[in-house]
Amino acid sequence: MATRLMFENSCEVGVFSKLTNAFCLVAIGGSESFYSTFEAELADVIPVVKTSIGGNRIIGRLCVGNKNGLLLPHTTTDQELQHLRNSLPDQVVVQRIEERLSALGNCIACNDHVALAHTDLDRETEEIIADVLGVEVFRQTIAGNILVGSYCSFSNRGGLVHPHTSIEDLDELSTLLQVPLVAGTVNRGSEVIGAGLTVNDWTAFCGSDTTATELSVIESVFKLREAQPNAIVDEMRKSLIDSYV
Amino acid sequence: MPRRPTRCKTMLNPQPLTFSPFARSAAQIASIHRDKRQTYKSKDQKGFPLSSKDKGIPKHTLEGKSDLSGSSEEEGSEGVVQADFVFFDPKPDDFHGVKILLQTYLDDTQWDLSGFVDLILAQTTVGTVVKIEGDDDDTPFAIVTALNLGRYKDHKCIKELKEFLLKVCQEKDVIRDLRLLMGEQAHDVGLLVSQRVVNLPPQLLPPLHDALFDEVSWATEDEPTAELRNSFRFKCYLLVSKIYKHKNANQKNNRNLIRRSGSDGGDGIVYIKPEDENFHKLSLWSFSFPMHTQQVETQEANYCLMGFVMAVETAKISTFRQQLQSLVVES
Repeated sequence: MATRLMFENSCEVGVFSKLTNAFCLVAIGGSESFYSTFEAELADVIPVVKTSIGGNRIIGRLCVGNKNGLLLPHTTTDQELQHLRNSLPDQVVVQRIEERLSALGNCIACNDHVALAHTDLDRETEEIIADVLGVEVFRQTIAGNILVGSYCSFSNRGGLVHPHTSIEDLDELSTLLQVPLVAGTVNRGSEVIGAGLTVNDWTAFCGSDTTATELSVIESVFKLREAQPNAIVDEMRKSLIDSYV
Repeated sequence: MPRRPTRCKTMLNPQPLTFSPFARSAAQIASIHRDKRQTYKSKDQKGFPLSSKDKGIPKHTLEGKSDLSGSSEEEGSEGVVQADFVFFDPKPDDFHGVKILLQTYLDDTQWDLSGFVDLILAQTTVGTVVKIEGDDDDTPFAIVTALNLGRYKDHKCIKELKEFLLKVCQEKDVIRDLRLLMGEQAHDVGLLVSQRVVNLPPQLLPPLHDALFDEVSWATEDEPTAELRNSFRFKCYLLVSKIYKHKNANQKNNRNLIRRSGSDGGDGIVYIKPEDENFHKLSLWSFSFPMHTQQVETQEANYCLMGFVMAVETAKISTFRQQLQSLVVES
């Protein structure tokens, strides 16, 4: 099920939170209702951890993770790193990486099997991503934008990309990612999908400006309606995927 | 990043540095288009859907300012950007841009900001959005409008706004007037919403305010129903704004005192929007309240950001308009 919420009057939920199948990170300093909305949905299944990264609240755009690991930028302080290592489950490897492009959440989008990366990412970073997150990394652009993490959001079951993505690009990405993709918007026409929405295999959170149409597209492409929460999802990738617009 | 000093800035109170690439590009804008176009919804066009792309007939041009518009390129160190500002009617597509401008309108309270923006954009007869001509992004740089508190009193956003103002008003005498203004007298009160990027060229201020007040007076004649026409006969305007106040300044001195214009050292207040000082001098009453949202780091560490609410009678508006003209001409 998809939930609509706000962080201090901002509808950019994907900026202030990071949701994966194994954990959820939430920014500190927002109202308690922001945190409690996540808790209400997720508390029984995965840990919800309040944190900052480098003193910043824009954690969703600074870090990237999946059920296998979490990558943090070099601006993360030692205390934050330790806090995250302590709070997250043991099978999640928490690593801080030295990468010039420190807004990892904007540069990388991933699920548990595949990752899309910014074209200018270091070779070394690409290897670390493949290693820590256990994914295959592809350097791609979305509708001509190199910030793949900002303009798309995908889980193991489906994905939403920038509305101006062409059909050819959609087909290509869908084949790479092995999930159905839809080009759409969130938060009443905002193209920045990654900032407006955060999603895992059974639930999604988006800004309260999201229209009912956008919400139904999100629920259908990410297959949230019939989804059951699973602690660690270990799905076989479907060999033949349909992509639809 | 060094600020671009221009002739007009010498007159004004010190203002905070620009803080985002967006505002920095606005700071490099050097000229204003002479051709300010305004809408004139004539009586023949009653049923005609207002084409909001262009405001139509050039109502007045700024011939007098033509020498000003061409001549403000002074420093070429960062490159000077020429831009033509155009005034548009509010339209639904402006939602995101206007929402960003009004993000901290009521401090960090969670309220129906989206509903408020929708209200502003739905009122096409009174209200102006300032954009740059030929800008692909179509981002609003400023929004100015006047909303009748009585007409919209049932909307959730207006109710929340009233609750918020009553909650933050700490001064007993003012709170009575405020309650009256927003309660029984609401149908005569216009909420004047004016928000813009920090360093929009001040040469735009007189035409922007002229546009607003002219539209209000045209609406009193042109609106299709008598009820709507009356809704624009404001007796009083309510403004919610922000100021920087010196930490040592005595808060009680804020009401109904005529202030000498000049440097901020005089009354301990730095006005983020220069016209606020004029409004303040002409206001019926005003109060300030502490804000939680942190604005950009100010040059003076002794100043703290405060919200500022004032009520200005309609009778004083013509004085204000004259003062605004001279404010910019002097600079």
